[in-house]
Amino acid sequence: MDSLRQEKIHKFEEFVDRRLKPDLVRAIAERDKVFDQQKIFSDLRKNIENLEKNSVTNLRTLVNLGSEVYMQAEVPDTQRIFVDVGLGFHVEFTWSEALKFISLREEKLERQIEEYTRLIASIKAQIKLVCEGIRELLQIPEEKTVEGRVF
Amino acid sequence: MGKPEMKGTVTSLSSVFPPEEVQKAAKMVEGKLSEKQSEMNQLKEFIADNTSLINLVQKLPDELHHDIMVPFGKAAFFPGRLIHTNEFLVLLGENYYADRTAKQTVEILKRRGKSLMSKVDALKAEMQDLKAEASFFDSTASEVADDLVEIREYEEDNSPERVSQSGPVELESPSVAEADNKVSASEDDEYARLMLRLEELEKEELAAEDDGENDEDEDEDANANATETETDGDEDEDELTEAAFHGKKDEGYSSLDHNQRYLESQPRKQLQQSKGKDPMNEEMSTKYNHQDLTNQLACTGLTAEPVTKGNYGGEIPHGRIVHQDTKMLNPPVNASVPSGKKPVQTPKSEFDSSKAFTGSIIEHTENLEKKLPEQKTTSSQASDSKPSKPMSRFKMQRK
Repeated sequence: MDSLRQEKIHKFEEFVDRRLKPDLVRAIAERDKVFDQQKIFSDLRKNIENLEKNSVTNLRTLVNLGSEVYMQAEVPDTQRIFVDVGLGFHVEFTWSEALKFISLREEKLERQIEEYTRLIASIKAQIKLVCEGIRELLQIPEEKTVEGRVF
Repeated sequence: MGKPEMKGTVTSLSSVFPPEEVQKAAKMVEGKLSEKQSEMNQLKEFIADNTSLINLVQKLPDELHHDIMVPFGKAAFFPGRLIHTNEFLVLLGENYYADRTAKQTVEILKRRGKSLMSKVDALKAEMQDLKAEASFFDSTASEVADDLVEIREYEEDNSPERVSQSGPVELESPSVAEADNKVSASEDDEYARLMLRLEELEKEELAAEDDGENDEDEDEDANANATETETDGDEDEDELTEAAFHGKKDEGYSSLDHNQRYLESQPRKQLQQSKGKDPMNEEMSTKYNHQDLTNQLACTGLTAEPVTKGNYGGEIPHGRIVHQDTKMLNPPVNASVPSGKKPVQTPKSEFDSSKAFTGSIIEHTENLEKKLPEQKTTSSQASDSKPSKPMSRFKMQRK
């Protein structure tokens, strides 16, 4: 009996360690990526709103050529902005169109984040379930042998 | 070589080096090797980026303006143009920037490339050391699997000890395996042992002066040895590759030709040392006894020395063993493997130890009995090899 129990416990533990925990780690990593994307777009939105507020037409920036070597660049007309819409495409927008697009994008990202959060929660619940099962398996024999325990 | 009483021991390799440990050590080395490999790849990427940037910087000043898409954050672009095409803002580190022209920027980038190349070279040297270690482990593992047996014979007289082995490689391999396992432990002991040895050497030098041989050398050697003890790990290798050991500074120690045979006996001595300081003294004296002053000088730390160096070389090299892929195994093994070979070595006189440590390479052909030619080559190699082994300095620093 005990050896069977030991085997089962061992199997449960292995299951947790080999499947559930890596799954959890992966899901968290994916969710973090989506968080980063969300941050990028919200920064962009703030910048565009800033430009609009100050009616900036010309822009002087420093462009990174690689390995932190910068060169001056000038943007004569800031009315047109090209935004990355995925799959390697960049669409030419005006400011207001760009803002609209960005808000749509942010909604989509939020929905993705929610999905990932639910997935992570379910994996965590499964891990807890298996741990409880292991604990039960261990406690029940103990309870039988140790009569002091009464629930 | 007279034939005084011969003592001998037969040890099965597998009993000395458990196969699992050897395999573990081999895996450890492989893991480190792969780490270094990935670092190397990364460095190569950096170098490639640097070169392409140099090309770009050289081409940009050809035009007054360049039409480009200026990035705005990570997900948006503005159409615009590059202006002031000869002015570059370069990051020097620590939030310090410098405005430079194209030519000056290219110079900066070239200097960066040079430092990257030197890092790559250092990494290559490390990887080679690791590979040598790995090969040692593999050979040890195969030897253990083949149930090879170590046979050691000792002569009970003042002539240099001769140790014969059934498998010369065996000595090294055990030390390698053990060295890896015990490097950390032995390093601490090594210092203590070194100090003891230094004291002994001093005494021996005083005694040696009476002999009128190589007094000067001894002093030098003693000093050199003190500093070079770290490189002692090489001693063991000497047997197998005299040249290899030269590089290592063990030279000071007793490079006696006879000592080469010693390598095997040294492991015992080293073991003794691990046991305690007293054994070390015995070992030192015994080792030196075998070696005439001249021999020691001649051998200067090359392969033969492992005997004397083994005492502390073994300990010090533990840390180095990793780098020294070759035969360092002996010293560590000696320390870790308790062998009761001490009694054999006690009869030796103590002078030799002082001479063995002479750091300088002095070839005295007077007393060299067997391996004169070998020693000479090794000594010359020793002098040459020093500069070529940057790793030893690291090891010294670590120690």
